[in-house]
Amino acid sequence: MKSLIKKLVETVGPSGYESKIREVVRAEVEKYADEISVDAMGNLIVKKGEKKEGGLKVMLSAHIDEIGVMVTHVDKNGFARFTTIGGVRPHTCYGSRVRFLDGTIGVIGGERLENANHVHAIEAMYIDVGAASFEDCPVKIGDVASFDRPFEDLGNRLVSKAMDDRVCAAVLIETLKLVKISPHELYFVFSTQEEVGLRGATTAAYSIDPDLGIAADVTMTGDTPRGIKMDVALGKGPAIKVKDGGMLADPKVVDAMVRCAQKHEIPYQLEVLLGGTTDAKAMQISRAGMPAGCVSVPTRYVHTPSEMVDINDLNNAVKLLTAFISEPIKLA
Amino acid sequence: MTELKDTLKKLISLSGLSGNEAPAREVIRAAWEPLVDEISVSPIGSLHALRRGTGPEPRPSILLAAHMDAIGLMITGIQDGLLRFTEVGGVDPRILPGLRVTIHGRKDLPAIVVQPPDYLLDPTQRGKSVAMDHLFIDTGLEEQDVNDLVRIGDLASFAQEPLELSGKTIVGHSLDNRISVAAITYCLQELQHMVHTWDVWAVATVQEEETLGGGFTSPFEINPTVAVAIDVTFAKGPGANDWRTVGLSKGPTLAWGPNTHPYIHKKFLDVVEQLEIPYQKEYIPRHSGTDAYAMQVVAGGFPTMVIGIPLRYMHTPVEMIALKDMERAGRLLAETIVRLEVDFMEKITWDEVKDEE
Repeated sequence: MKSLIKKLVETVGPSGYESKIREVVRAEVEKYADEISVDAMGNLIVKKGEKKEGGLKVMLSAHIDEIGVMVTHVDKNGFARFTTIGGVRPHTCYGSRVRFLDGTIGVIGGERLENANHVHAIEAMYIDVGAASFEDCPVKIGDVASFDRPFEDLGNRLVSKAMDDRVCAAVLIETLKLVKISPHELYFVFSTQEEVGLRGATTAAYSIDPDLGIAADVTMTGDTPRGIKMDVALGKGPAIKVKDGGMLADPKVVDAMVRCAQKHEIPYQLEVLLGGTTDAKAMQISRAGMPAGCVSVPTRYVHTPSEMVDINDLNNAVKLLTAFISEPIKLA
Repeated sequence: MTELKDTLKKLISLSGLSGNEAPAREVIRAAWEPLVDEISVSPIGSLHALRRGTGPEPRPSILLAAHMDAIGLMITGIQDGLLRFTEVGGVDPRILPGLRVTIHGRKDLPAIVVQPPDYLLDPTQRGKSVAMDHLFIDTGLEEQDVNDLVRIGDLASFAQEPLELSGKTIVGHSLDNRISVAAITYCLQELQHMVHTWDVWAVATVQEEETLGGGFTSPFEINPTVAVAIDVTFAKGPGANDWRTVGLSKGPTLAWGPNTHPYIHKKFLDVVEQLEIPYQKEYIPRHSGTDAYAMQVVAGGFPTMVIGIPLRYMHTPVEMIALKDMERAGRLLAETIVRLEVDFMEKITWDEVKDEE
C-alpha cells in the first residue's frame, strides 16, 4: 500500500491535467477490471461485476486531480506569475517548490513585504525556474504545475503533497483487488476536476446512473494544537461522513456503513465537516437523485504540500469499503 | 380550513430537518393522499404526488414545489456530557441560548441550548452574542448516559410549540416552508371541485435549506412543462421595513427576476387581477433563494415561477405567518392551474411580455 501511495502522490496531475496520473492508475487496475473506459471529462471508469439479486448499481468515486498552479505571465527576466487551481492558500506557497507537467522545477518567491508578519497575496508571488530571461524560460502562459514535496514514510504516519485524494485512489485500487464476491454492479471511478467543482463526478454519475453513490475523500481533523473543533482524529479509523459544507449524507447510507463497521469490528469515526465537500454531493443530485455517502480518510494539513495521513486509517478504509460492497446493502 | 390548520400545526410540531425529512413527509403524505391519484417518494426522499388533468395525452404538467425540510442543529462533539453543535440550514446564533430543543439520539431527548456565564467566557466572546462554537446543548443526563444515547451527527430540532396569535397569525418553527406545503394542500383541495386540463404534480422537496437537493432532482424525474416554487419571503417587521420586505397579511408575492419566466409570471398576474386576489410584487434580481433557482436549470431547463408567502422572523423558532396569505396563495395556484389551456405553452412568446413597472 505504501509503495502504491508513493507512486500515486508523486505524479503531477492538477485539475484538468490528469492524463499522467490516469495512466498510473490504469496500470494498477487493468487486470482487475471487467471493463475500463475513459469518458469525455477524463474520468477513468472501472466496471466490475454484474448486478445480481439483492444487488445495486454502486458508484465509488475517488478523485485523481490535485490542487496546483497555472502560469499567467512570464516577465522579461523569466519570472512566471501564476494563479491557483483549486483551493491553494497563499500561506502555503512562499518557499514551496512546484513541478510542471514536463518535469521543470520552480520555486515560489515573493515581492518584498512592507511588514514581514504579513502573508504574500498570490498576485505578489512568482515562480522562479532559474531562467535568466523570458526567452530562456521553459514555462509559458497556461503551463500547470503541482506542488513538489517528496513522500515521507514516518512509520504509521505518511506525509506528502496530494494525499488529497490520491490516498483514496489507493483505497479504491486496493478495494477493487480485494472484492471477490459481490451482488453489486460496481463502478470504480477515478474522477477528474474535483478540486474545481466536482466536475468529473458530475458527468460520471450521470452516465453510470447508479442506485447508490459513495465517495472516498480526505477530511480534516481536530487533533492538532489549538486547531479546529472537530471530533475526527488521525489513527482512529476512517470517518463515515454525516455532513460537510456541501451535502448531507443520506442517513440510510450512514446507518448502513456504521452497521457494517460494527459488524466487522472495523474502527470508525463519524464526521461532521464544516467546510469543503466531495464527489458525493455531485452524485446525490445527479438526475433524479440517489442515496449518497462518503468514507473519509482523516488528514492533517489538507491543501498544504505536506498532508499527513495514518496508514491504519487507510487499511481500515479498505476493509470497510470492501465489506460494505461485498454484501447486500440494506438502505432502511 | 380547521382541518388544514390542524395539519399545519402538526407539521410545525415535527422535526424533519434537511436530509432527514421522513417525519414531515409522512404527515404530508397523509394530507395529500386523498387529493391525488398517485404518490411516490424520490430516491432522495422528496414526495411526488400526481393529480391527473382532463386534457388529452400527452398532457402538459405543472410542478408545484414546496420544501418540507426544516432548519435545526447537528451534534458535532460530546464534551464532559455536554454537546457541541453546528447548524443545519442557516441558524442565527443570537436566538439560541435558552432555547428548548429535542435531540434525536438513540431516543428523543429534551434538552436546552446554554451559554457559559459572560465573565467565564473566552475574552473574544464577552459582552455580545456568543458564537455557535462556544454554545452547548445540555440534556441534564450524566456523562455516561449521554455517551450511550447521543452520537456525532445526531440532530436537534426546535421544540417550540405552535402558537395562534390574534389576527389569524400563527407562530412557530419551520413555517419556512411548511406554510407553503399547506398552500399546496389548499390548492389541491380547491382543485377537488374544479376542472383542470393539466396534470398537477404536488412536490414536497428535501434539502432546500442546505443544497436545493430536491429542486435539482425532482424535475428530472417528473419532466414538467412548468415548475413553480412556493416559498416564504421576508415580511415587514420591527427594524425591517424597507423595500426588501413585503407586508404580512397583504397577500402572496409574485416574484419577478431571472428565476422567473416572464410569461408564467404574466399568467399568474392576470389571474390575481381578474379575481382581485390581494398580492404583492417581489423583485428578486439574483438567486431567488428557492427551489426555482435549481429547477430552472435541471436537464434541458424549465420555465419557472416563484410564489412567496410573507413571513416575519425567518429562521427563528418564532416565525410568523398570516393564514390568509397561505389561503390566497393556495387559491391563486388553483385558479391559475384551471386557466392553463392545453395549448398554453404554444402561446408563449418573448416579445409581448413587459414588466408593468
